[in-house]
Formats: sequence, structure tokens, C-alpha cells
Amino acid sequence: MTAAFYVPPNVLPPLLQKFAPLLKRKWFREVVLMPPTISRRRFSNKTEDYGVFEPSQIASIGQLSIYVQDIERSRRWYENLGGLHHSRTCEPEPHPFKPGWSIRCCYMSAADHDECLVLVEERDPDGKVTVPSGLSFFHTAFEVEGNRLEDSLAFAARAKAAGFRPNYGPVRHNGEPPLGDGETGGNVASYYYDPDYNNVEFCAAMDTIENYRARYGDTKGSARA
Amino acid sequence: MNAPVGKPIAAAKLQHHVIYVSDLKRSKDFYMKLFDLQFSALNHPDSSAAMRLSNQEMHFFSFGFYHHDLCLVKHHKLKMDNNSMLHFTLVARDRDAFDGIRTRAAAMGIPLRDGRLIASAKTSPRQRAFCLQDPDRHWIEIIEEQHP
Repeated sequence: MTAAFYVPPNVLPPLLQKFAPLLKRKWFREVVLMPPTISRRRFSNKTEDYGVFEPSQIASIGQLSIYVQDIERSRRWYENLGGLHHSRTCEPEPHPFKPGWSIRCCYMSAADHDECLVLVEERDPDGKVTVPSGLSFFHTAFEVEGNRLEDSLAFAARAKAAGFRPNYGPVRHNGEPPLGDGETGGNVASYYYDPDYNNVEFCAAMDTIENYRARYGDTKGSARA
Repeated sequence: MNAPVGKPIAAAKLQHHVIYVSDLKRSKDFYMKLFDLQFSALNHPDSSAAMRLSNQEMHFFSFGFYHHDLCLVKHHKLKMDNNSMLHFTLVARDRDAFDGIRTRAAAMGIPLRDGRLIASAKTSPRQRAFCLQDPDRHWIEIIEEQHP
């Protein structure tokens, strides 16, 4: 199958990808945030200034289905980069909410998560495969085996050795050098575009309710910008 | 659990998902009211260098264990659509939570669709499921956590 070439407008251009590591430098973040600093609109984005953690009604994300132009091409990408394994590919079936349209589904599993990802070829009533827009989700994230900082870095190193180039990362989403990019969550992450420019994060060591206070105590988020 | 020795590190599980929305307040109200999601952080062009450079604003929500599990993003220059994602599934933490979400959704006037969204998705005789759409017409499937 020949896939149409389409780059969604939210994709980070290669030149900007080269400069993205500057976000790990506090001086660069301060320069970028100078306008709101000068105008006194700047505020903290850190969780201790917001977080009230209580149980929700939800335990986890169970499954995600994304549109792809070519199941085989995408399957290889998720197998080779993410280590996901193929569970099954189904025969075409009616689209669940577009009369006259059809879908074909490929179910992929992660090490501890059965059929967590569905790669979906969508066909219009003329049988033409649609091109994913890239504008329904910003990214989706897989936790890597081990779930430690060093596991995420090892994942990124192996990916690089295998020829996969991240569009961002590895970084840690906090303000701690040398990996911290000033964001929030604590996860150590690398981001890659799949063949349809869906942005996929592989991460580990995200902060939890239990370790958040242990890591930061009563330090206000504004002190860790 | 540490990563297996001598084997390339692979993805263990789907952990969080970040969706585009067109109205952050409307979506935030929807997800917090329907699922009790906990607002855990706000990355804004006036608080985050990355968000300032990318013209985006991101609201983080926790299911109650990780810092974030579901995030809502508004791109201030691009218009979101429903043409790159078919659906995502949220696992209700138990039977009461599943029933509670369904009751709340009905009270909020949200149309419900019984069963799994994709016909070929796995089903088990004991597992219940229903689907609904959020304010941006993202399809959300709710399934009941299966306890052995």
C-alpha cells in the first residue's frame, strides 16, 4: 500500500527539534518566559500549587485506537521501537459510527497490557483509506519496563542505536538538571513520531501521590521554576 | 519490578494520554464531574517555556496514583478534530464506579451507547461496557475493572 505524504501542522519541524534540548537549560527557559515575567503574568505550573489527590472513578487507560494509513507499516514501527507485539489483525468491519465506512483493526499488546493499542485503517464509502489529521491528540504515552529513570534512558539509547530519532528527549519533566525541562510530572521521557506523525512518548519514573511529597516536601512550585 | 536483564526494554503498558480539546474549561468540568479526575497541574504559556513555544496550554489530571493519566490540551492556533483517534477506553475502578459513572452521565444528559465501541474488541461475559462522547466528540469507552 502507498501511503499519502502528509505532515500535520502541529509537527515540530526538524530544525526546531534540534533546538528543543535547550529547554533543559534554565537560562533558556527564563528567556522564553521573560514576557510574562516582566508583565507579572507568570505563575507556577508545579503540582504542589494545585494538587489535591484523591481516588477517582477511573483505574487506568484501557485501550487507545488511532488511525493509521498502513497497518503493516505502523505495526513494524511499534514492534521495532516500542517492543509491542502483535495480537491479531481482524477482517474489515463496519465503522462504529460512520454509516457506509469501514475499519480494519490491528490489536497490539505491551508487556503488561493486553491489546492496549489498536491501529485502525479507516476507509470511506469508496474504499479509500483516510489520512490521519494528527489533531485529535497531542501525544500518547507508554511506560517502559522497569519504570526507573535508567530504564527510560536505556530505552532511548537503544532506540537511537536502532536508528530511531526522537523529536524531543530524553528529558525529565521537572526542573532538576541535567535532564529537567522545567515541566511537571517527573517522568523521564522521549518522544517519537510514528509513520503517521502520531506523537508517542516512552517514559518512566513519573511522580506518584506517594513520592511527590517525599521528593519536594513543602517547597513551593514557584521556587523550582 | 526491574526491566528484564539482557533483553531490550519494551513498553510495559499504556500509561497516559493527552487529547486536544477546543474549550479547556468546558472539558475540565466534564471530566472532573463525570469521573472525579483530580486536577494536578497546569502548563500555560505564562508558566511553561515549552507551552509558550508551542502555543499550547495543558491541564493535567490524575486518576489518583500517578501525577497525570489524562491531559487536556488546547492549541491556541490550530483547530482540533476527531480524525486521528477513533476512541480511548477508561477502566472504571470497580462495579460501583462503573454504575456511578453511568448514572452521572445519564443525569448530565449525555447519550449512552451500550457495549464496546469496536465490534472486534475483546469481550468477556462478565465485563460490562458503554460508550459516550465528550464535549469535543471524542469517543470514550467505559469498561469495568475485572478483578480475578
